Formats: sequence, structure tokens, C-alpha cells
Amino acid sequence: MQPMRAIVLTVAKYAALGFGSFVMVFPFLDMFLGALRTPAERLAIPMVYWPHDPQWHNFVRVFTELPMLTWFANSVIVTVAITTIQMVTSTMAGYALAKYRFFGSRLLLNAVLGAQMFPFFLLIIPIFFLLRFVPLAGGNDLFGQGGSGLLNSYAAMILPFAVTWYGIFLMRQSFMAVPDEIIDAARMDGAGEFRIFATVALPLIKPGLATLAIFVFIYQWNEVIWTMTVTRTAPELQTIPVGIYLLRGAFVDQSTLSLQQAAVCVSILPIMVVFLLLQRSYIRGLTAGGVKG
Amino acid sequence: MIAWLTSKRGAPYLFMAPVFVFAVFLFVGPLLFAATISFTDWEGVTAPRWVGLHNYTYLLIHDGFFLTSVWNTLVFAAGSVIVGVPLALIAAALISQSRYQSVWRTIYWLPMITNIVAVAYIWRYILNDTSGLLNRTLDVFGLGGPDWLTSTSTAMLSVIMVASWMSIGQNVLVFLSGLAEIDESYYEAARLDGANPLQLFWHVTIPLLRPTIVFVLITSLINALSAFVLMLILTEGGPARSTTVTGLYLYDMAFTDLRLGRASAAAYILFALIFVISLVQLRLLRRGSVEGA
Repeated sequence: MQPMRAIVLTVAKYAALGFGSFVMVFPFLDMFLGALRTPAERLAIPMVYWPHDPQWHNFVRVFTELPMLTWFANSVIVTVAITTIQMVTSTMAGYALAKYRFFGSRLLLNAVLGAQMFPFFLLIIPIFFLLRFVPLAGGNDLFGQGGSGLLNSYAAMILPFAVTWYGIFLMRQSFMAVPDEIIDAARMDGAGEFRIFATVALPLIKPGLATLAIFVFIYQWNEVIWTMTVTRTAPELQTIPVGIYLLRGAFVDQSTLSLQQAAVCVSILPIMVVFLLLQRSYIRGLTAGGVKG
Repeated sequence: MIAWLTSKRGAPYLFMAPVFVFAVFLFVGPLLFAATISFTDWEGVTAPRWVGLHNYTYLLIHDGFFLTSVWNTLVFAAGSVIVGVPLALIAAALISQSRYQSVWRTIYWLPMITNIVAVAYIWRYILNDTSGLLNRTLDVFGLGGPDWLTSTSTAMLSVIMVASWMSIGQNVLVFLSGLAEIDESYYEAARLDGANPLQLFWHVTIPLLRPTIVFVLITSLINALSAFVLMLILTEGGPARSTTVTGLYLYDMAFTDLRLGRASAAAYILFALIFVISLVQLRLLRRGSVEGA
């Protein structure tokens, strides 16, 4: 190929990728700039785009004027709890499906795969009302009447995510790579089944565990619809994105709109850091285990 | 009993136990519960009243809006596939031919790790009629932009654009792993025949990538059919319900109007629709992969 044409093509390629990257990244910057504008700059016609007098204190106000610390604590508590529980349930079930042949194992594997077909909108309504009628919880009587059941509690936020079919499948794929000989050798040495699982098999799938943990953590940190549904009347339980959304009526004038934009920036930042630090394991899991949004 | 559960025969059942409990109380149980109340009239407090198929016939025949919401769902799903998938394919093809692949991939992935409240608010400001970045940019070129989110003629288009921005990283990732599996020798051969890069893309990449393309089309379409949280936060289904998809319609039906029976019926109708579309697509996928082989 003629060198001139090759250069033009290369330039065009990187120009296209660069423009795409601009479209992907600049919206985040737009939100950041909004958080820094003064009310006068926002009101000017046309609006002053680049803030002359950056209002850095809006990021302080996020913590002093909004319940950001409560939201943050809730996000951490719920996300860490779900991640931990899912690690346990997924590794145990994945190990059983990968390393044992038992009555019904084939059927169970297909059930785990098939269950992924059911979208979450089908479960929101029934789970919400089943949690409300849990007996002897939240002021309920023995027949689940009278109170709010498990709603408005961390349990309600955590339980529906205690197991994910995708997590089980991902762990099963990881355990499939563990050689049977190692497990049989441990059995010959007299180790119990649970002990083999915990001390022999688990350490061998560390990369898979890391992938699952990061994946679940990022997914749950960003979870909105379920958390919003069960904490609508319980501000003390809301997570960062849910709190920002449900408080939307409070952001009315130019000053509080900047505050809202600062809060949105704060909601993105922790997960962005986690992602940029750990993206290698995260991306590997996404490409290895199929796809789920 | 304990001895059996810790033996090689019983252990897998013990490992699966948490999943069994979860499946009964938080998956199969709720699905059956929803199916049952879809045949009743229930507002969540008093005892449900059996109404047979009335909810289904009401939604499909008498409800003036349900079928419109299904139409909105199909428009959104088709739109986000038509806009999102080709862009992802082009981006992935360019990235696969570039240096610093992981940097590009990370940039295009950023919206995927951003919570949906932040995504919606970022774009609300950008799509604002007068002060938003998009219309101000268009003004520079002498093009007057519409009132993106509050005009019935552009709101759905705006939601589709935001949804495509949000999920492009997912498809870029899948396309990149598909592209990595294409043997370089095909390109060598085509280059020897004098093919230019565009011809390579059209006559080598696209045919060889066909299974991946079909996979991405299917998963994108299914995800889009059950999406509703973006509309809930970005437009609240408006203006004039022009962005109210079925998922959002039934969510409001359940949690705002407390028509739980009807909302459950709507959920099952939407699920049936998604199921049928998936089956049709799976058939196409099978045929596609046979031809591709």
C-alpha cells in the first residue's frame, strides 16, 4: 500500500476512536463542571460553561448538607454483605455442580442456566410482598399481618441477591479446571468433603474468586431499582444513588442543582477507583463467563 | 444424617442447600405467587379476590395504554439495537487494529460501571434545551437542536441514545473477544488479493464474526426489552408517556396504583413476549452458526 494512504487511514482510525472516547468521557466532565459553577454562572444566558470561580466547597456541602455519610455507610454495608454471601453460595454450589456426580446434578445445572432467563421485573412485585408478610418480623403477627415485615431492613436489601445464577455458573466453570486427582488425593489422606472444598479446591481458583468478588461488588454498588423499592420510606437505609434520586425534590434552585451534580460525582468516584485498580480481573471474568448486564 | 451429609454422597446436597432454600423462597415461590395473583384483584392489604383471566383480557383489550407501552418497548429495543450494535462493532474493529487496546476498552467501558442515576442525571443536563451541552454545540454549527427530553417526538430517541452510550462497552468487549479469534491468515490472504481495509472489514471480518454478531444482537435485544429503570429516572416515562415502556408501566401499576394483580399479569405478558422473541432468535442463531461453519 502507498505510504501516504496508510498514514491517512491511521490518522482517520485514531481520529474516530478519539472522537468516540470524547463522547464517552466528556459527559462525566460536564457533570463535574456543573458542580463547580456559581449560581450566577448557571443563570447567565448563555450559561457560562467553564467556571471562573470553581465552587469546590460544593463537594464539602455534599457531606455536610446531604446525608452522604449515611448513604455511603449503607452502600458499603449492603454491597460488602451481598458480595460475601454470594461468594459463599456461589462457590459451594459451583463446587457441587463441577466436582460431584449426584442424583439430579445434570438437571440442577440446566436449572441454573435456565433460571437466568427470568428477568428481574418478574420478581420485584412478588418478592416485595412476600417480604412484607414474613411472620413475626417488623411488627407482624404469627400470620404475617399487621406490620411491615422485613421491608425497611438491610435483610430486604440483601436477601434477593444472596444467590445469583450467573455467580454459580461462573464458579462452576472455575472449579471445572481443578484436576480431580488433587481432590481424590486429599480424600485418600482422609480429609472430609468440606475440608477439601475449603482448603484444597478454593485456594486453586483464587483468580476466579477475585473476578466474582469485583463483579458482584461493582454490580451491587450500582444497584438502584430494588433498593429504591424497599427503602422508599426508610431514608436511613438508602444507598448513595438511591438517596440522590429520592431526594430529587430538594434540588430546586441553582445552588442546590450544583450540589446535586457534586453528589452525582461523589456517587461515581469510589467505584471508578475500584474499577481502575482492579479492571484486569474484572474484564477477564466478563469475557470468560459469557455476558450479563 | 450428619454422617451422610458429610460423606461423598451427601456432601453435594449440603453444598447446594443455600441455593435450594433461596430457590424456594426467593425464586420459584415468588414466581408462582406472582402467577397466582395475576388471576386476582389485589391491592396488597385485604384478601385477593379471584377474577380469572380478567386482568389479562383487560390489559390486552380494554386498557387503552398497555399495547402502546408494548409498542414503546419494541421501539426502544429495536432502536437501541440498531443504534448501539453497529457503533459497538465499528469501535471494536477500530480498537482491534490499534495500539493501547486496553486503554480504549477501559474508556468505552466507563459508563458500564456508572450507576444509572448518575447516567440519567449526566444526560439530563447535557440534553437540556437551552443550557445543555448538546444544543449549545449544535448552535455553534448553526443547527438548532430540539428540546430533547421534553418533546414527544425526540424523547424516545434521546432515551435510545443514552441507553446506547451506557451499554456500548459491553458489546465492544464481546466483539473484541470475537475479533481476537479470527485467524490473521484470512486477512493476509485478502490483502494479497489487494483488498483495502474497508473491503477487509466487509468481506472478511463481518462474515467470520457472524456468530458473535448474532449473539450480541440477541442479548442486546433481550436486555433492552426488559429495561425500564433508565426511563424511570431520565424521563419518568414522559412526556405524555411517550417513553413509558411496559416494564415501567407495570412498575408504576404495582407500586404507585397498587394494582398488584394486574401488574403481575402485565409482567407475565411481557415475559411471554420476551420468551417468544428469544426462541425465534435462537432458531435464527442455530441456522446462522450452521451456515457460518
